[in-house]
Amino acid sequence: MTERVQPSGGLVGRGLVKCYPRGVETVSALAGVDLRVDSGEFVALVGPSGSGKSTLLALLCGWETADAGELRYLGPLGDRRPDTFGWRDLALVPQALGLVTDLSLADNVLLPARLRGTAGTEEPRARALLADFGLAHLADRYPHQASLGEQQRVAVARALLLRPAVLLADEPTAHQDRGHADGLLDAVVEAARGGAAVLIATHDELAWARADRVLSMRDGVVTEGGSP
Amino acid sequence: MSRPPLWRLAPWTRAPLLGLRQPAAVLAVLVTSAILACAVASAPLFLSSARSAALQQQLADQCAEAGWVQDGVGTPRAEPGYTDALVTAWAEQGRTAEPVLATAAVVGRQRGAEPGRVTAADGAEASQPVSVYFRPDALDHVQVVAQRAGDGLWLPASYAEGAGIGLGDRITVAGTPVDVVGLYRDLFSVDAGPYWCDYRILYANDINANTAPPAFALATDPDTFYAVSAGYRYGAQQLAQVPVDAAGLSASDARALLTGQDRAQRRAFALLGLPGASAEDGLVNSRLADAVDRAELVESGLRGPVLPVAVAGALLALVLVAAAGSFWADRRATEVRLLAARGVGPVPLAGKAALELGLPALAGAAVGWAAARLLTSGLGPADDLDPSATSAAVATAVAAFVVGLGAAAAVAGLRARGTAERPLGAAPRWPSRVPWELVLLLGAGWCWLLLQTRDAVVSTGGVAQVNGLLVAFPLLAIAGAAVLLGRVLSALLPRLRRWAGRRSPAVFLAVNRLAAARLATATLLVAVTLPVAVLGYTATLTASAQKTLDAKVGVQIGATRALQTLSRFAPTAAIDEVGTFVVRYEGSATAPEGQGDSAGRQDVQVLAVDPTDFAGTAFWDDSFADEPLPELMAALTGPTVDGRLPVVAAGLPAGDPQLQLGSTEVPAEVVATARVLPGRRLDAAMVLVAADRLPEIERTAGAARAAEIWTNGPLGPAVEALSAAGGVGFRALEPAGVLQTANFLGITWTFGYLSALAVFVGVISVGGLLLYLEARSRSRVSGYVMARRLGLSRGAHLRSLLVELGGVSVAGLLLGGALAGGAVALVHRRLDVDLLRPPTPLLDVPWTALAASAVVVVVVAGLAALYAQRAADRADPATVLRQDA
Repeated sequence: MTERVQPSGGLVGRGLVKCYPRGVETVSALAGVDLRVDSGEFVALVGPSGSGKSTLLALLCGWETADAGELRYLGPLGDRRPDTFGWRDLALVPQALGLVTDLSLADNVLLPARLRGTAGTEEPRARALLADFGLAHLADRYPHQASLGEQQRVAVARALLLRPAVLLADEPTAHQDRGHADGLLDAVVEAARGGAAVLIATHDELAWARADRVLSMRDGVVTEGGSP
Repeated sequence: MSRPPLWRLAPWTRAPLLGLRQPAAVLAVLVTSAILACAVASAPLFLSSARSAALQQQLADQCAEAGWVQDGVGTPRAEPGYTDALVTAWAEQGRTAEPVLATAAVVGRQRGAEPGRVTAADGAEASQPVSVYFRPDALDHVQVVAQRAGDGLWLPASYAEGAGIGLGDRITVAGTPVDVVGLYRDLFSVDAGPYWCDYRILYANDINANTAPPAFALATDPDTFYAVSAGYRYGAQQLAQVPVDAAGLSASDARALLTGQDRAQRRAFALLGLPGASAEDGLVNSRLADAVDRAELVESGLRGPVLPVAVAGALLALVLVAAAGSFWADRRATEVRLLAARGVGPVPLAGKAALELGLPALAGAAVGWAAARLLTSGLGPADDLDPSATSAAVATAVAAFVVGLGAAAAVAGLRARGTAERPLGAAPRWPSRVPWELVLLLGAGWCWLLLQTRDAVVSTGGVAQVNGLLVAFPLLAIAGAAVLLGRVLSALLPRLRRWAGRRSPAVFLAVNRLAAARLATATLLVAVTLPVAVLGYTATLTASAQKTLDAKVGVQIGATRALQTLSRFAPTAAIDEVGTFVVRYEGSATAPEGQGDSAGRQDVQVLAVDPTDFAGTAFWDDSFADEPLPELMAALTGPTVDGRLPVVAAGLPAGDPQLQLGSTEVPAEVVATARVLPGRRLDAAMVLVAADRLPEIERTAGAARAAEIWTNGPLGPAVEALSAAGGVGFRALEPAGVLQTANFLGITWTFGYLSALAVFVGVISVGGLLLYLEARSRSRVSGYVMARRLGLSRGAHLRSLLVELGGVSVAGLLLGGALAGGAVALVHRRLDVDLLRPPTPLLDVPWTALAASAVVVVVVAGLAALYAQRAADRADPATVLRQDA
């Protein structure tokens, strides 16, 4: 059964620009990005390495600010800045995963609930996610005792735990075999069907196939459709 | 085409420069190498410093001339030629010497004065003869009573008055006519000052001999001396002294001076036409040589405990250097994994690490040597070091560099290779599960068993030395117990995780961090426990040994200082002002059954005291009796018991002791007892009685009456009060005269060095803490950045750091305190620095110092938490979370 989330209303970006200084040069990571991801929609963002995908995700989650352009979240999140969002508002799977190395895999998944004081309530869901992702037998291991693929599934489980209104993920299936990638994408699609706005940066053709829409990114510009 | 050798490839050829790109690793190796070099270099420097200080303190306890060098001759007839030769011999060495001329023997063990008969101007022969003395500025150091111009003799005023000699009289001394051109106040009746210290035997009857020294006549000039001394039967002694500042003397300086003295004496003989005479035939200063010998004895006694301690410190530091090598491997993980994946083995990787870390390790060794030098100068026993010690310290620092770099490189190579090859989820390797610390505990037990059959403090040539076992036992026990407890506690940490799951996020994160890194946690715990325990142990034993030593001196003298005289006089208000008046008698009392002399009696020292002010001056420690001294004094003023005087005794049971003072019976009742009473100078029982209630003891009773003034102030006012009260002649009792404190320096310094080791281990711990934080900073920052996104507040994260580091620190403090307390309890009763003198060892816990140490530990933990928080705050989430997982 698909679990519903509070609809976010999605997000809209217009003319987003982000430049970095690199020595005497200035690198243009985003050169006027326009995009829209609606609530209940699963959007795949494809593009070659260095095209600006990770920068765009960092900007959308509030870790970066745009040099120019407008980023707006719709619906209940509309009057807040992304860096103030909680994990229920916006969850993400960063490229480096960001697992807490001193916590077991189970505790990593449950951490967002524990920090909200709802660990007891969410524990069954955390266990269920671990089981769905084939991690139940590794629950007590530390991240460094798990493979990169296993760590990645833990990061996705953690992102899904609180049924976020917006889900951003950077290459969530990069280290998965076909079976586990399917499992992860099933969960992501389910989140979208539940009302989440989902944007995934990916090179994985499986993800393109499952996405409602595919955005292509090259040289800091997003275009509808296309291939990486 | 063959591949070039690895060392010609870029990762090795460019290694020295590549290393500099990792500032954290460079800093870690630099600091740890400095700590290692400091540990090993400090030992020779400390020993040299201790030797210098032992020499300086011995000389400081004596008259200034004890540290001077001199040549001299004893001649049948004093002549200027001898003096010229003696002074010239020094001048040839570039030193300026001053003559000292005396008809008395001033050099040698049996020093004394030969009398010269005196005939007054009226032809009457004085009842007391005189000795004659000349030193260039002697007259500047007497209190003038009367003087006139001209050459001649200065006489003590009381002597001149008694002999009927006036200023300007022409008298005959040992057959030579001479004018009396000055009168001065008798040196024995005033505080003569340091100038006369070395010549006291010539004018003061300190030993209460039946025949007092001759009057002390001072010649105004050498010619007068030569003329007058010509009539003395045994001739004169002529010296040429070179003043030396003993306060800055090192042992090698002193040896050089002694060599110069030997050369000067032989040269003087040569100038006098006595080339065959050896230096020993002259009047050289042998006290300096004795002091150097004793200083070297103190140093050799220190070497036993210090060298093992230095080695232990060095091994600890070596562990830290090795950890820095491991840290390098973590920092260079990307490159070394790549190299390892391409088949590069641990040896080439270690070589690469050595090349990258060589420069910082070398700089660290230099810094460590300089730190050891500065620390020894600033905190060591003395700042005056022997050049050979400095060279030895350089050699050990170089050795530390080589060994340290080798250890760091080896660990780096193994770690780098191991990181690349170790499978995921692998169980800990077996060496980490073996309780190696049990070996330390077994070693401690063995030392303890040996200690049961040996003295804890041994005396060699009068110099007290700590038995090395007394150092080894607690160190091994503390180290072993600390590691064992650290292992046990860290093993319990996983159980704490479940408990922490029900606590606040701060506690949850802190406990999980500690549990996840059990080895690091245990190491950190031991790193805090060890210095706390060692510092607590050494500081307590040092303070206790010093307190015991002070108490032994205080008990012997009765107060800080005392004057003793055979004169009979009544106490005055001036005496009460400077201290308390005590009259000492020799007496006897009934001995316990089967003991005492043939009459069944034992010797007793009886002190007649003033109960109203005795407790205010007398030395006292609450361990001496079950009641405080004022209460014991109050007992002296209580009612008589069946007509017997109430007295307080040590060494006598309560009841009637059948007390006699000399032959006079004194009905007394022991109404209170003490284990020790102040003023105990003989191995005999002691009795205190109120002076105003004691009946008059006649001279004929043979009670060896001696009056004493006890004071806690300077000696001068006490001397004035004694003279004003009518006391004539006195013997001063001061701490330096009771115990040669230099003999006990080895004990203080042994524990002082151990304390320094504890502080050093503390520094290592801080270094280790920083390495711990740095090594885990990447994962910590990554976790923090993500946890912030997950809902963790900054405050909660900081609290978690405080709980993590503060928790380990507090646990280490408690464990260290408990271990120190246990070690002190086992050892301190055995640390009696002088078995002959009471009291037995006293305990003095330096609470202030220990509390300050605890505060330092907690503050360091707090600062480390803030440091880690700051590092996490400065991280850019987008950058951190974009790096490879």
